[in-house]
Amino acid sequence: MDDGLRLGDRAFGSRLLLGTGKFSSIETMLAAVRASGAELVTVALRRFNRERSDDDICGPLASMPGITLVPNTSGAMNAREAVRAAVLGREITGSPFVKLEIHPNPHHLMPDPIETYNAAVTLVKEAFFVLPYMPADPVLARRLEDAGCAAVMPLGSAIGSGQGLATLSMLQVIIRDACVPVIVDAGLRSPSEAAAVMEMGGDAVLVNSAIAAAENPTLMADAFAAAVKAGRQARFAGLMPRSEAAVATSPLTAFLAGGGS
Amino acid sequence: MRPEWLDVSPWLDLARRADRGMAMQAAVASDPGIREFAILLSPAAGAELETLAARAQALTRRHFGQTIGLYAPLYLSNYCPTQCAYCGFASGRRIQRHRLSAAELEAECAALKRLGLEEVLLLTGDRLATAGYEFVRDAVACAASRFHNVTAEVFAMTESEYAGLAAAGCTAVTLYQETYDPARYALLHESGPKADYGCRLDAPARALEGGMRSVGLGVLLGLSEPLEDVLRLFRHASRLRRRFWGGGVAISFPRIRPQSGDYAADFPLSQRQLAQIVFAFRIAMPDVPLVLSTRESPRFRDGIAGVGISKMSVASRTTVGGYAENTAPSSPQFEIDDHRGVEEFCATLRAKRLQPVFKNWDAVYRTPCLTSSAST
Repeated sequence: MDDGLRLGDRAFGSRLLLGTGKFSSIETMLAAVRASGAELVTVALRRFNRERSDDDICGPLASMPGITLVPNTSGAMNAREAVRAAVLGREITGSPFVKLEIHPNPHHLMPDPIETYNAAVTLVKEAFFVLPYMPADPVLARRLEDAGCAAVMPLGSAIGSGQGLATLSMLQVIIRDACVPVIVDAGLRSPSEAAAVMEMGGDAVLVNSAIAAAENPTLMADAFAAAVKAGRQARFAGLMPRSEAAVATSPLTAFLAGGGS
Repeated sequence: MRPEWLDVSPWLDLARRADRGMAMQAAVASDPGIREFAILLSPAAGAELETLAARAQALTRRHFGQTIGLYAPLYLSNYCPTQCAYCGFASGRRIQRHRLSAAELEAECAALKRLGLEEVLLLTGDRLATAGYEFVRDAVACAASRFHNVTAEVFAMTESEYAGLAAAGCTAVTLYQETYDPARYALLHESGPKADYGCRLDAPARALEGGMRSVGLGVLLGLSEPLEDVLRLFRHASRLRRRFWGGGVAISFPRIRPQSGDYAADFPLSQRQLAQIVFAFRIAMPDVPLVLSTRESPRFRDGIAGVGISKMSVASRTTVGGYAENTAPSSPQFEIDDHRGVEEFCATLRAKRLQPVFKNWDAVYRTPCLTSSAST
């Protein structure tokens, strides 16, 4: 039924990706990653700390079996900085993936579509599997796909906002038209929203704040994993068609049968 | 001479007379602005501090997670040509003066690195020929070769000087207006370069124009009527955010402690008032870093960490020299109240389920390209 999530030349069983910032401790983060069953986890290069192990989020994840690291370029304000960060992230982790993230405004953290596109073009040439975080813009999604990105990652709503699928109608267009996996990233608050993404045909979701800021992050990670699986199953099971009008038990047009004139 | 945008009279009445209902609404407003901010500063809101704190904590978690960013100050020099009434480094004071030599700066940086810190805030007195722009720029370059994140709290500079600092590796500038009240400002800064109110007021904009990624603003609480000062600080921050859409703004909350030092605050502020101001900023500017230094007590710092405050200094010395064993410490700029070391403070944060974050930036964002083929 499900042959897994294909990204670049790899396949992954889990369709839940985890972000690793914002947790109350590294141990809590690792427990949440384990509970989520995620195989792809993003790690911010700015949080790599090779000089102080209790401040380093990269080392402990790198030694976790079954985990593929996806360095992200958060902190980059333009394409040039993002490319540098991606190159350094690959040198350190050896991962072919990069989550391309460029937000020039440090407050709302909205991705810059122009710089993201320019960086994606360069990084694809440099043989990265590029996963660009992007505004939920169907045209930009196709442009990034044409540039050779391994997936697109449109936002559900602003990072950390917990406003769920504020961009729902645009996400539907992106998912309908995409030829690469669509990973909905940012803004998800509850597992039901993750399930909704999967039901409408999204390929995966990436969650961070909703798990990190939960009272019980491990339990919430498990809940998101179950929701992603349930949503994917529902997609394959075939949802009953939605009908806005009630269907009368006795046809209202029966009186037209028989062909009177 | 005071720009029109610093007129906060329309909101003063709200800040003084808002009722409980208005305060409760402002605390949960979906799109708060200066109106809500003013209401949150009111006595009625002050009577609902627990409600404000809960909202502030939820918003801090949402935007910054369960983390506290850490940094330490490093004083480069305490020579100063300016007579600020409240400052331990003021020109008229008979204190032990010192300016770090290049070797001493290296030693201080090394000592801070041994504490595990990755963000350092460099400070000096006001501009002098012997401790001027080049001195600060060279210190930035030295610190940037060791730390991922270097910021500066120094005298007001020109735009091209700020550009030079940025090129040397400085990512942010902190510059408190001290007070936005021009009359109080003139009274408190009688002489020296800092006496120019307008030059200082425009300096954060020059810093962002010159390529700094962010600026830190603040008022020295206790110098002036706090309500007006804090409303103007809010206006200043809002204005900079609008003008520099790609720039960051952070807010600090230095307070002249009523019981410390030999300068008595004319407008003393209680811990409850300080907490209310922090909560009001967090609620009205949910995504702005809010910073607290070791001026405050361990109990206050532990309590407000993560409840509005998202970034804190630790293990601070406010003397020139003081981290390395062999640099003789001079007189301090101000007395600190939290003397805990890095590990002790971090253990307290962790017990509160807050992760201390030492590194939240990477020097790669300011160094030359690692591979020429990777350049765009």
